Amino acid sequence: MNKNKIARLSKPLLAAVTAGLVSFSAASFADDYPSKPINYILPFNAGGESDLSARFQQTVFEKHAGVKTVIQYMPGAGGAVAWSQLNGMEADGHTVMGINIPHTIMQPIVKDSGYKTEELTPVYYFHYTPNAIFVPANSKFKTLSDLTSFAKKNPGMVTFAGSGSNSANHIGQTLFDKFTGLTTTYVPFSGIGPAMTSLMGNQLTAGFAYATSGASAGDKLRMLAVSSEKRLSAFPDVPTFKELGINLVGGAYRGVAVPKSTPEDVRVKLSNIIGEINKDPEFVKKMEDNGFVLTDISYDEMDAFLEANQKEYQGVAELLGLTK
Amino acid sequence: MDLLSYLVEALTPLNLMLALVGVIAGTVIGAMPGLSATMAVAVLVPFTYVMGPASGLIVLGAIYTGAIYGGAFAAILVNTPGTPSAIATTFDGYPMAKQGKGALAISLATFASVGGGLVGGIALLLLAPPLAEVALAFGPAEYFWMAVFGLTLISALSVGNTLKGLIGACIGLILSTVGVAVVGGDVRFTFDQVSLLGGIDITSAIIGLYCMPVIIDLVATKTPHLNFASASGESSLTSAFQLIIKRKFNLFRSSVIGTIVGILPGAGGSIAGLVSYTEARRSSKESEQFGKGAPDGIIATESANNATVGGGFIPTLVLGIPGTPPDAIILGALLVQGIKTGPTLFTEQGSIVYTFIYGLLIATLLMLPVGLILGKYAYKSIAKTPKQLLVPTVAFLTVIGSYAIHSNPHDTFVMFSLGVVAWVLSKFGFSASPIVLGLVLGKIAEQGFVQTYLIGSAQGRVLEMFFGRPISIGIILCAIFALVFPLWMARKKKAVTQDTTLNHKTSNIVMTGLVMVVGGVLLTQMGGMSPLGSVFPSYILYAMLGIAALLLVKSLKSSSETKFSELCVVPNGRQLGVIVVVGGWTLSMSTLGFALSSLLAFTLIMLIANFDKPKMFPMLKNVSVSVVIVGAFYLLMKEVLLLRMPEGLLF
Repeated sequence: MNKNKIARLSKPLLAAVTAGLVSFSAASFADDYPSKPINYILPFNAGGESDLSARFQQTVFEKHAGVKTVIQYMPGAGGAVAWSQLNGMEADGHTVMGINIPHTIMQPIVKDSGYKTEELTPVYYFHYTPNAIFVPANSKFKTLSDLTSFAKKNPGMVTFAGSGSNSANHIGQTLFDKFTGLTTTYVPFSGIGPAMTSLMGNQLTAGFAYATSGASAGDKLRMLAVSSEKRLSAFPDVPTFKELGINLVGGAYRGVAVPKSTPEDVRVKLSNIIGEINKDPEFVKKMEDNGFVLTDISYDEMDAFLEANQKEYQGVAELLGLTK
Repeated sequence: MDLLSYLVEALTPLNLMLALVGVIAGTVIGAMPGLSATMAVAVLVPFTYVMGPASGLIVLGAIYTGAIYGGAFAAILVNTPGTPSAIATTFDGYPMAKQGKGALAISLATFASVGGGLVGGIALLLLAPPLAEVALAFGPAEYFWMAVFGLTLISALSVGNTLKGLIGACIGLILSTVGVAVVGGDVRFTFDQVSLLGGIDITSAIIGLYCMPVIIDLVATKTPHLNFASASGESSLTSAFQLIIKRKFNLFRSSVIGTIVGILPGAGGSIAGLVSYTEARRSSKESEQFGKGAPDGIIATESANNATVGGGFIPTLVLGIPGTPPDAIILGALLVQGIKTGPTLFTEQGSIVYTFIYGLLIATLLMLPVGLILGKYAYKSIAKTPKQLLVPTVAFLTVIGSYAIHSNPHDTFVMFSLGVVAWVLSKFGFSASPIVLGLVLGKIAEQGFVQTYLIGSAQGRVLEMFFGRPISIGIILCAIFALVFPLWMARKKKAVTQDTTLNHKTSNIVMTGLVMVVGGVLLTQMGGMSPLGSVFPSYILYAMLGIAALLLVKSLKSSSETKFSELCVVPNGRQLGVIVVVGGWTLSMSTLGFALSSLLAFTLIMLIANFDKPKMFPMLKNVSVSVVIVGAFYLLMKEVLLLRMPEGLLF
């Protein structure tokens, strides 16, 4: 009885307060965004490509946005833990999250990951890291054709270290097998770090990993080929797969996403900020020195970009027999 | 190259002050279960952009090393490792505290941490490039065997109760496989719960498994938490120092183990602590004292985990591969500064690197005064805090600690559920440590196992990959020794270890049956999994069923020795109350908001833990203390560590 009364009284009151708050904050969004530090949540552990590129952004972020950004980590299930919670977070543009392709396309295709690709709202894809094949510095394989001719004579014997199963590395290796008609063995590790350590220690034949790993490994590893359209400025001597007659282009795109109820104009503003950072010479130099390839897929081009990728990876998933 | 000139650069007043502040902050953060060095370092990275590389790195390094050390405080005083590195510190630290020797235990941990930190730091200073080769010599097979070696500790931890210990380990190993598998990509044992996709977080599980049983049992009786030996006039400092001097070989050996394990990417402080604890126990003349308050246990763990700090920087700086998560963040900070890691770093950027290493060593030395002062007050205040304040504070720490790890209420719920299960299991003779060991070592064991198998079968030499590599053979021999030795010793001294645990026939049979049913249900879940994803959990499940069958036969043969009531498994009113309140807290946090739910739960637990007649004045005092505690933590987490807190109706 009493409870009902409270509920009856408080409901409209609550509704009014909520409505007031919402309209108040909605009105204040557009003009003074960003008005406080931006929480930049990464769906992975520290130390990966997402972390490094976000840290590079962080150094120049205040210059372009007028506010600082705070990087936080929310790892789990290859990013799915964070992405499945993104839409429940504060949608005023001060909470943003790193987002990746193929991860956010492949995960929902392969299994129920707690989110659907269409439910995520990327506003900018600012770079991509192509795959590359590495061998230890003292390996007998000097070129990719050395490796492929060995693999042809010894099916299955060539082992590739990479990060995780069904990952961009794994997809790259499977497509490589497909395009070359070879059979190689993919060995998943819990991250690029452990995979590259094993490779440097000659525990495996080769590595199928992001080209960025080449930058930190120094002369311990040799890069045989890279899956970008053009050669990378950080590694001018490394040929692309295309040059070598293998049509393997791709890797992982990384961008910034917001909760889906974030207002349109805030999305556009955020997209502009990220775009400006992408032109900052200091930022560009750091990214390119470390083997990243900058891309400028801004908010207005996002739909077309997503559609093209979705189509491509749907095909890849069917090819790999990964559809659920 | 003049190494000493860099020492002068590290000794500027600014750097000294930064090291001191870093160590204090790190120790405090490390002492709070759930708040980690990774968090603090991640927040502080932007400051290093403006500070100058060497000074910035010194702060980060000081926080890191302080946090690893601070983990010992919670381990010793409330049986909950403040960081996973301090898991093995609970084995002997908490028993010592219970015997009234908490101050001594903290002093021991301090000396050991400083010693270990110095050994790791000096290795980094003088031997980094050659030692980095160690990381490269360890392949998947060696990681697998190292995890197996860590698991052999179970045979030592559960003498007289080996079967239950092994079942506990299987439970832990299975828990480690929950979620999306790294190897194979299968979704395992989530029962279609999206929240379980990310698996069971090790830190929140540890908090639950160790701390919830302590909380539930604390409210059961009026007896104070710790025996505060106020009468002991002798300084714990001098006696700790004497104990350490007598055990200097243990200190040195554990530090070396810690340095080497630290070098291995992905292994880290928890494994270093467990491995050196196992080794210390195996080689000790008084190994039966381990687990009952042996100083050697604390020395081994604490020196090893602080040695991993210096060790972990070796692959980070030489190979560009971070040894631990804080190393990964510090590596990022280096790259942002435009510093290229790699073998040339030490010659080309010598000024930054060596100044940093000296800074780390200075920070390690500063742990001595900081730790001894903080430790003295920490022990006194924990021992003197009245129960009605201590219990809610500890409960509060478990809830926010498990939340803080990923700002995720789901982790808090996992903490709570595992904690209650651990409490029930402990009443039937299944202790928490084997479960924790399985959980911590499971992922490394599985990945090492499957990777070794994949590489071996690709080249047609699986057996050679597992058993033919020199380092592997060495680890296998140590493992066999560590496994057999405690059993053999136990047999020799049969009288001492004769079944000290409670033993109730019917409940043993019921529990074993329950384990078998759960194992069977999980086996039916393996249907659609890929061979890569299912091989490890299926072996573990078959092993668990086998061991449970043995235990069943054994229980059927035994005659009931203890009365059911002596198991204390039926919770009394207060215990039930605490379970309900903490459970309600974890569930209502996201709707009621952090502050409101915490204040409510804090007050309720305070009432439950109150054994005196309720009086107005002390009650008011306690309530205001609770507001201060909750408020201070709210500010620390929201404003200093910048975590996202659940906001609800009020704020």
